Amino acid sequence: MAILTYLQAISSALRDELRADERVLVMGEDVGTFGGAFKVTDGFVEEFGSERVMDTPLAESAIIGTAVGAAVVGMRPVCEMQFSDFISCGFDQLVNVAGKMYYRQGLAVPITVRLPSGGGFSGGPFHSQNPEAWFMHSPGIKVVAPSTAEDAKGLLHAAIRDPNPVCYMEHKHLYRRIKGEVPDGVFETPFTARIARPGSDLVVIAYGAMVHIALEATEALDGAAIEVLDLRSLVPLDEAAILDSVARCSKVVIVDEANSTCAAGAQVAALIAQHAFEDLDGPVVRVASPDVPIPFSPPLEQAVLPGVDRVREACRELLAY
Amino acid sequence: MVDVTMPQMGVSVAEGTIVAWHVEPGDRIAADATICEISTDKIDTEVPAPASGVVAEIAVAVGETVEVGVVLARIAVGDGADARGGNGSAPAAGPPAASAPAASAPGVSAPGVSAPAAAGPAAAGPAPAGPPGEVPAAPPPAAGGNGRARRRYSPVVQRIAAEHDIDLTQVPGTGRDGRVRKPDVLAFIERAGSGVLEDPPLHIESPYRPDPTAAPSDAGGTLSRTRRQIGEHMKRSLETAATCTTWIEADMSHVEAARASLRLTALPFVARATIAALREHPALNATLEGERYTRHADINLGIAVSLGDDGLIVPVIHRAHELSVEGLSARIRDLARRARARELTPDEVRGGTFTITNPGQYGSIMATPIINQPQVGILDLEAVVKRAVVITDAAGNDAIAVRPMTILGLSWDHRALDGVQSAQFLAGIKCHLEGGTGA
Amino acid sequence: MATDTFDPASADAAGEGQLTLEDRVELLRAMLLMRGLEERAMSLYRQGKVPGSFYDGFGQEAVSAGAAFAMAAEDRLCILHRDLAAHLVRGVAPARILSQYLGRAAGVTRGRDGNVHFGDRELGCVGMVSMLPDMILVATGMAMAFKLRGEARCALTWFGDGSTSRGDFHEALNWAGVQRLPVVFVLENNQYAYSTPLDKQFAVDPVERAAVYGGAGVKVDGNDAEAMFEAVRVARALAVGGGGFTLIEAETMRMHGHAAHDDMKYVPKEQLEQWRARDPIDRQEARLDALGVDVESVRGAVAAEIEAATEEALAGPMPDPASALQGVFCDGVAEPLGDGRAPWSGWQRRPA
Repeated sequence: MAILTYLQAISSALRDELRADERVLVMGEDVGTFGGAFKVTDGFVEEFGSERVMDTPLAESAIIGTAVGAAVVGMRPVCEMQFSDFISCGFDQLVNVAGKMYYRQGLAVPITVRLPSGGGFSGGPFHSQNPEAWFMHSPGIKVVAPSTAEDAKGLLHAAIRDPNPVCYMEHKHLYRRIKGEVPDGVFETPFTARIARPGSDLVVIAYGAMVHIALEATEALDGAAIEVLDLRSLVPLDEAAILDSVARCSKVVIVDEANSTCAAGAQVAALIAQHAFEDLDGPVVRVASPDVPIPFSPPLEQAVLPGVDRVREACRELLAY
Repeated sequence: MVDVTMPQMGVSVAEGTIVAWHVEPGDRIAADATICEISTDKIDTEVPAPASGVVAEIAVAVGETVEVGVVLARIAVGDGADARGGNGSAPAAGPPAASAPAASAPGVSAPGVSAPAAAGPAAAGPAPAGPPGEVPAAPPPAAGGNGRARRRYSPVVQRIAAEHDIDLTQVPGTGRDGRVRKPDVLAFIERAGSGVLEDPPLHIESPYRPDPTAAPSDAGGTLSRTRRQIGEHMKRSLETAATCTTWIEADMSHVEAARASLRLTALPFVARATIAALREHPALNATLEGERYTRHADINLGIAVSLGDDGLIVPVIHRAHELSVEGLSARIRDLARRARARELTPDEVRGGTFTITNPGQYGSIMATPIINQPQVGILDLEAVVKRAVVITDAAGNDAIAVRPMTILGLSWDHRALDGVQSAQFLAGIKCHLEGGTGA
Repeated sequence: MATDTFDPASADAAGEGQLTLEDRVELLRAMLLMRGLEERAMSLYRQGKVPGSFYDGFGQEAVSAGAAFAMAAEDRLCILHRDLAAHLVRGVAPARILSQYLGRAAGVTRGRDGNVHFGDRELGCVGMVSMLPDMILVATGMAMAFKLRGEARCALTWFGDGSTSRGDFHEALNWAGVQRLPVVFVLENNQYAYSTPLDKQFAVDPVERAAVYGGAGVKVDGNDAEAMFEAVRVARALAVGGGGFTLIEAETMRMHGHAAHDDMKYVPKEQLEQWRARDPIDRQEARLDALGVDVESVRGAVAAEIEAATEEALAGPMPDPASALQGVFCDGVAEPLGDGRAPWSGWQRRPA
């Protein structure tokens, strides 16, 4: 057991997989010699060589497309989008080629796409997005989003070992801010939800960085016992865990950092409306970024991203209902 | 142009009678404000205006009885009404035109017809008997016609109630606007214990429940079920609340003069003064359940009504703050009559936020009423008796005068309030009764 | 890396050395089967038995037959929709192909995708997607894995003239050039992308782009199966020897519309006449006829095979509607592509 940052946990999982399985290769822009834009693969080239830690041309479609090709002949590629925003350039390969391959012809595509996502640091409209819902809407792609260092490692191990394409949403804002105990060696975290804090009066459902916002916002909130459910996996969505929390708490606030419309939280809200109607003691409340590009200037960005105050206010309102 | 029609006040009601108009042609009226009062064989009620605008026409006079759906009045809405107000044709300020309701109607409606909505049957046909299908905004009767707050339950509350066979009307709500929340119904189950299934308790705010099995004639001293339950309810209140009683003496000269001219009892005046004082002292318009103390925005005033040997019942005047003395009087009379006739609906005995009890007609002068749980106060009105009192004139000269006096008693829950609040509240009632504007 | 034109004469000459008579008959057989199956499928389409739309490769049979014939069992192919002969060479049974067209349970994709959108995983083929030329990157990635693992294997993919306009074409050629990958790109220049002619697609002959991305570029008569075979054989040898990619521009003509609903009004009659005279099947038959092969009996055998396949396919059930929801995700082991059939006699002569 070691104390690792979220970023170190990701590095650790990658290193362990490269050591354990010669089929694993890491590919992306500047991941080799430079060690990655966020230094996730710092020092990897020295240990594993430039073929397994591959600096690719600046071509996201090619990164995903060639990874698919390598995967169907037996490799386990781990692609890095330098920023999740750039997956738009590789969207077609991921959604049309990778996502539909197994369904159409029974050919599994075991690739992992690491997507450094999220805002909060003036990244502006092209370095702050949370594009996970794009892939939730595309059949055949799994989507996971760790919030803790332990899950960052365990989910990455599980993603790399999964026989399907997996979008691994790693939140940039958590890289060096979140630390935690991480078991040594390889361990796989299941693609299920986790109760970050148990409670009974209201449940806040979140994932990624919003789990921390939710925990802070509901810490000792008017003496209420507020549960925080960390989804961890968006595809598959742990419907049983969500419905269980709702059955116990009967009041729900769902937090997304992503733009509100059709976000992961919208799917969770729909699920609850359909399957937990008779457990509800109030409206299903959502807190998400409004449908605007994530602006650059700090006061503008703070006005858009869901923060502690907004989540707290939503919880208070719902508790009083 | 929006039609105001005779509402359907119950499935079987076919007609209604106009009791009073609150407006005259040319008056501006806001949506949901009372436009007239009607009487049907089921209920007397106020009719809220279906839209904001200017009253263009009153089609049915006071005392007339018409069928459900008949157009009672028309309201000019939209630009036409606004333009009319703005072009200086003196809508409400011209008493000569406005004082003759029926005659002024055509003259008023003509300019108002410019609103697009006026095209069609309303403009084409004569006033009464407009086709019911054309009524654009007649509110559903339950929504506001009788002033009762709608009570809705969340899915989980309904499910739990169904599972435990609970009558939700008996569960006090602690949520926003008195909503019954999941913790409320769970607490209710816990309080009721297992007995809830065989013997559902009486309404928490009213010990009364019609007893279909009738009074046992073989009773050799055994209490009737109703009596037993009234007893349990009263006992539980005394065990639950920290009950204190405070009295104040009020000079009823002002009230006596007014009620003589209106031919009313003192009760609606006291109710009106109590409502005004509750507005000034909202701490009294509240419920306390366990540790949850909730102040209520609406004043739902309970009035204890004796049923003779069958005990008593507390029907509730919902949104009583919206009523005048005359309106309160009419409502109290109606509720009392129907209480004795066993015609009250469950809606009419729940949701109270404060109660007045009035056993004073037999000459008693003071009492210590028991608080109607989970409210925090109950006002007792006893007899009005003439007494010699010292009065002080404007110049500060004292004199002895004969005045109609009464002693108002307030029992209050010391868990929720302190003596100073109840004293201030009583002083407020006194002030209003004596013609002042409150404390 | 030079860009040059592949000489059909020398190909013929080289073919003499590389292809046995049986190989040359096999090439004819693959082309006849492709044409016969597509004609049958078109007929079933007109009878309302094939759902959706229908695409064929009439007139282009030599491109896929010749290229696939040069590939080894352990090589991997991404096959385009006008390349049915490649599937046949790799060993997909005709009945499965017709079942595929018919949307039957026995089709290669079990009714999940239509017409030629399929690849038999067990035979080393990846089915195309409609976004062209997405598969060019998949083929490049397969080659990347071969090189990384030090395997003497090659990937091959086909795409059309229209595909050269999209970014994935350029990303793939660049990638393959940078990493010097064992991949063969067959640009199937059939003169039209749907209705768009070449002069609206590119200003520079795409084969010339091979050199600027660091690979070899050759032009081949795409209506000559043996020339196609030879060009790919040479390109494959270059690739597995570490010489990088080759872009082979196969010049051919799409003799039918883009799909069954396209009457091809935009194609001049003379152009069609000119290409009809260069029909790849006529050409191979003439060659074999001159060598004393009984071409009619080959034709007869193929026709009988198609009859039997049609009967089998039409007798097969439609897929169970409940199966529509199954198999979106793999919940077992990710099985990689298997080896395909490699009928060229050269593989038997190859030292173990």
